[in-house]
Order: sequence, then C-alpha cells, then structure tokens
Amino acid sequence: MPLVLVTVVSTFLASAVECVEALTIVLAVGLTRQWRSTLLGVAAAAVVLAGLVVVFGAAIATFVPIDLLRLIVGAFLVIYGLQWLTKAILRASGARAKHDESAIYAAEIVALQAEAPVPATGMDWVSFTVAFKGVLLEGLEVAFIVVSFGASAGMLGPAALGAAAAAVVVTVVGVAVRGPLARVPENGLKFLVGLMLTTFGTFWSAEGLGVDWPGDDLAIVGLIVLYVALAMVAVRFVAVRIESHHVHAAASTSPAAD
Amino acid sequence: MGWLRRFGAFWYDFLVGDRPELFIGPIVVLAVVWASVAIGVPGTVSAAIMVGGVVAVGALSLVLQTRARR
Repeated sequence: MPLVLVTVVSTFLASAVECVEALTIVLAVGLTRQWRSTLLGVAAAAVVLAGLVVVFGAAIATFVPIDLLRLIVGAFLVIYGLQWLTKAILRASGARAKHDESAIYAAEIVALQAEAPVPATGMDWVSFTVAFKGVLLEGLEVAFIVVSFGASAGMLGPAALGAAAAAVVVTVVGVAVRGPLARVPENGLKFLVGLMLTTFGTFWSAEGLGVDWPGDDLAIVGLIVLYVALAMVAVRFVAVRIESHHVHAAASTSPAAD
Repeated sequence: MGWLRRFGAFWYDFLVGDRPELFIGPIVVLAVVWASVAIGVPGTVSAAIMVGGVVAVGALSLVLQTRARR
C-alpha cells in the first residue's frame, strides 16, 4: 500500500474514532440546550485545531531536520500507539469495558440539566463552552496524530485530508441518525489505529537514530504482520487470564471452598 | 502559577495518562537502541532490539493492567 494511502487511512480512522466521541457531546448539548451556540462552539474549536495543524505542521516540517523529526515523532507515535493498542487489547479480551456512546450521551444530558437555564435571547455560553471543550479535547489527539504522522511522512496535506474527511463523514451520519453513533466499532478502529501508530513509530524512531532496517521500507510490512500476530496472541492471553481469575474467584466464594 | 500547573497537568495527562510505563518504556528502549548504534552494533541487531523492546513494553503494560484488575 503506498505511503500516501497509509497516511490517509490512518488519520481517517483515528479522526473517525475521536469524531464519534465529540459528536456524542455536541448532540447532547445541541438537542438539550441551543443549537446556534453549540455550532459556534464547534466551529471555534475546528478553527483552533486547523490553526494548530497548519502552524505546527508547517513549522516542524520546515525547520526540524528529518532524522531528528522522525526520532521525536516516532517516539511519540510509539507511546501513543501502545496506549491505544493496549486499551483495545484489554477491551477486545473483555478485561475492560467497551466505550458505550449511549451511556456517555445519557450522562452528558443529566450533567447539562444541572446547568443554568438557556437564556431566552442571545448566546448560550454553556452550550458554546461545552461544545468547544468537547471538540477541542477530542480533536487535539487527532491534530497530534495528523501533525506527527503527516510531518514524518512528508505528507501533511493527505494526513489533514484524511482527518477532515472523517469529520465530514461522521457529521453527515450523525445528522442522519440524530443520535450518538453507538454501533460504530470504536474498539476495532482503535485497534487498527494503535497498530498503525506503533508500527510507523517503531520504524521512524529507529530510523531517526540511524538504524538501517533490513529490507528498508519493506520492513514496515513485516512490522505490521508481526504486531498484528502478537496483538491477537495478547487478546487471547488476557482473555484466558481473566477467565482463570473468574474461575478462581467463583471457586473461592463457593460454600465448598470453606 | 496556577495556569502553569494546569498546563503541565494537561500535557502530563495527554502524554502519560494513567500508564507511566508506556511513556518511560519506549524512551528507555530508544536510549538502548541509540547506544547500540553508537557502539557500532549491526543494523539488523539494533532493529531487533527496537522491535523486541516495543513488544516487551506493551506486554509489561498488559500484565500490569490485568494484575491491577485482579
């Protein structure tokens, strides 16, 4: 798969996951309070995020030498990728609860009902602030991935395009559904993105230190295959570990164990 | 100074979160790889150290997280 496609797909998937989470917050605020102020909050956050990507992406790509860039960015991608991947493994094996957008949506609505009433006229700053914060915080992760992935691959444009496309797709689906996107396989997406980030982070950071990978760029394919296989083994290992714990716990609490 | 602490706390939470081993581990692995390159270890071996280190950090974190839940 050409690098440009890998870049677009990786940032699209990462952005899709975060956009689904941001959409839950935006829908809760917009439907329970005031749409105009909510959408202004979303727009303000989108402008800040786009500015961050343009300024930091261009500055990093222009002024930082490529080896240093790949070392630093690669290190952050490994750190971030492992965080996403280990959480996805734990969720896939049943050791950790899956993200429930419907429950988050319900909790958000309860929290908003405790706020001051919506003003009869003018701006509702509660709607603006909650939407702005929600989109900015979820979007920062995407901006971070777009800048790091895009700058290292020399493909800031395709990286930003992938992220923006996901935002458009999730928004369109969200408007059509008029509710939180509870059926999106968030964990599967996080699993894939975690694998991508860890793979490219491993490759780039070692390359930045001067390591010559056997097979050059083909080593990326080998890394993906290896990490996928090990992640599958890890899911099974954790599931067995959790299962054996449940069996031991049940045995120790049963009357026969006394 | 309050804003500085909040700024630091935000970035700590953003990058380290609740799994410090996933922040420190890759940095340690990169330091070992840097040392291996500096002393002239062949590229294939350095690459293997990198991959093995990343896998070990991930495995360690999974063990710690599943142990914490038991």
